[in-house]
Amino acid sequence: MGNAPERHTIQWHAIGQSVRGASHVRSGLPNQDAIDWQPKSGDGPPLIVAVSDGHGSPKSFRSDVGSQFAVEQTVAIIQELVAGQPATISLSMVKRAAEERLPQEIVRRWQEAVNAHLRAHPFETEELDALETKQGGAARDTVFNNPHLAYGATILSILVTDTYILYLQLGDGDILAVMPDGAITRPVPGDERLFANQTTSLCSHDAWRDMRLRFQTLYGVLPALILISSDGYANSFVNDDEFLKVGVDILDILKTDGVATVAANLPDWLNDATKSGSGDDITLAIIYRSDIPATPKKRTADSATPPIEKKELEKFPESPDAAPQPPKVDPDAVLEEELGATSPIEEGPPAEIVEETASTPPPAEEVKPVEVAEETPDAPPQETPVVTPSVAETTPSPTSEAAAATPPAPRRRRRRRIKYTEGPLEPSKKLPDRFYED
Amino acid sequence: MSKRPGGQLATRPLHFIWIADCSGSMKDDGKIQALNMAIREAIPHMQKVASENPNAQVLVRAIKFSSGAQWHISQPTPVEDFKWVDIKADGVTDLGKALSMVADQLKIPPMTDRALPPVLVLISDGQPTDSFEKGLQKLMDEPWGKKAVRIAISIGKDADNNVLQKFIGHNEIKPLQANNPEALVNYIKWVSTAVLKSASSPASQAAAASPVAGVQAIPVPTVAPVDPNALVPPPLPVDAAVAPPVPTVTAPIITNIPIPAAPVEDAAVTADDVW
Repeated sequence: MGNAPERHTIQWHAIGQSVRGASHVRSGLPNQDAIDWQPKSGDGPPLIVAVSDGHGSPKSFRSDVGSQFAVEQTVAIIQELVAGQPATISLSMVKRAAEERLPQEIVRRWQEAVNAHLRAHPFETEELDALETKQGGAARDTVFNNPHLAYGATILSILVTDTYILYLQLGDGDILAVMPDGAITRPVPGDERLFANQTTSLCSHDAWRDMRLRFQTLYGVLPALILISSDGYANSFVNDDEFLKVGVDILDILKTDGVATVAANLPDWLNDATKSGSGDDITLAIIYRSDIPATPKKRTADSATPPIEKKELEKFPESPDAAPQPPKVDPDAVLEEELGATSPIEEGPPAEIVEETASTPPPAEEVKPVEVAEETPDAPPQETPVVTPSVAETTPSPTSEAAAATPPAPRRRRRRRIKYTEGPLEPSKKLPDRFYED
Repeated sequence: MSKRPGGQLATRPLHFIWIADCSGSMKDDGKIQALNMAIREAIPHMQKVASENPNAQVLVRAIKFSSGAQWHISQPTPVEDFKWVDIKADGVTDLGKALSMVADQLKIPPMTDRALPPVLVLISDGQPTDSFEKGLQKLMDEPWGKKAVRIAISIGKDADNNVLQKFIGHNEIKPLQANNPEALVNYIKWVSTAVLKSASSPASQAAAASPVAGVQAIPVPTVAPVDPNALVPPPLPVDAAVAPPVPTVTAPIITNIPIPAAPVEDAAVTADDVW
């Protein structure tokens, strides 16, 4: 056995939404995206989330079924992977198993599901006639030669455990990791071939070779938020920078308004994006750490949303690796430590302020949610972040006064660095293993 | 609704570029007038098709080539505002220069990688008088040049179809042969509507339709009045390596833009040859 993996007690939660594209509504196409997660409660770890985008081509006239198979099979396979791992398994073994087996297994099982569906529901004359009308007889022949084409879809998925996060992607779409300080990374390596609406696909020959994986061990600062979206979302923004703002914005809204607000608004946000943007189906999965400290926000008395973070936190003891820290540590302090680990800008809102905000009458002044460090009483880095009146003075916010009126929880801070076991994996170049069936 | 996350939304740009020959020979037999008229007449149809897909922003411009080349309408103009300005014919046929200038505009930037594949329509009646190959190479070196939907219309029988074929870059697609004004109108209208409609669809297409990476599954436009089904190229063998214009990518890639069959049964096509 190698060194024991670092385990986190951080809880994660997933929500998601898929909307039919504006152009699909016009042309009568169904929503060809699919989304699934496990467990169904959305609570983890372990937490598995999958998003798939069925191709819009007339040749892929069953891609809504294909994308559904993609998410179902992927979630099931990853569940099996997790279930089959002994608790003591080393991360390197997990990583190796994932890299060597998952791509082929996902493609194989997707193909099996497609084959079974085809046997039960052979192509109907109407489907093929419709294809021929749109694209000619050759298109019909093409689908005959590769029936999987009718079901063609992408797959994007993540697995979050208490020791690592696994990201995988085949085809277009985006996986964004939003760090607590708002920095955004794309954990999965890019594929420059995905250009001009071109995508690799589960229905491609040797599709598993195009799968991109990233294995990230949970050392140091973890992402506060992970987003998985079908390409219809990114394509709805004027450029990539404007798209990436989604990560920071959703993190802010989670902090200020809570997940209920995000969930309630998600359909409108995505419908708005497809109408004013790409016209394509849009699916967005939001996987967030339920220990994100909330940010004070101007509220009306009746709109104070209880911060779900607090509720979640109370359920969990402090992280075991917090042992060297002062003995009396409340859960808020634990998460503060996580969030404050690398970025001074995030050292602002001690979690205790969250509680105050939620139960405090609305501050007279507007508190802008975006820049956390500016809006909230911030403790100087590396100091005991007791919220004192002097700190409150520096930030003349009613919120901070409220916070100051409450006995501050002790805060601890540790510096850890992000450490990945190794760089991202390009599409696997390994030879097919026993899972691969040509 | 709570503040929508993310920055500015935008529909996807679809650049449509006319590449028009205005060499001296286009003066003959009313070719240049026919071309001006054909494009002018096609605009309302183009606008209508574009309006049917509000998620694509169709941007039109035009470049002309004779002795040298020049942007005739240089700004990518929203199709709803697009007005054709007649071109005049004079000079030689510097097609290579025109392609080189188009290539400059297809770089990223000024293009964005989220654009829809551009549509390039080349209309010519003669032989290039400059280094066509060099211009074409420059075009094909640009990712968007390579991915562009490239259509060619030859006016009359003097056009160099080998050149136009190279521009198209796909053996299965032939230049559209316009031998009279009616046929020219017909083809111009076709690229302005059917091709535009296909190109503006965000749909992606699956790999087996295009066994070789980067090759678009484009039915062959043909002038022969035959069964419409025969307009489409025969299915490419899934594993066969047909000589592709862009064989650089090894893995199967899904492509889009199925180009609809060109109009073939129209009476205009069978009208008497003028050119």
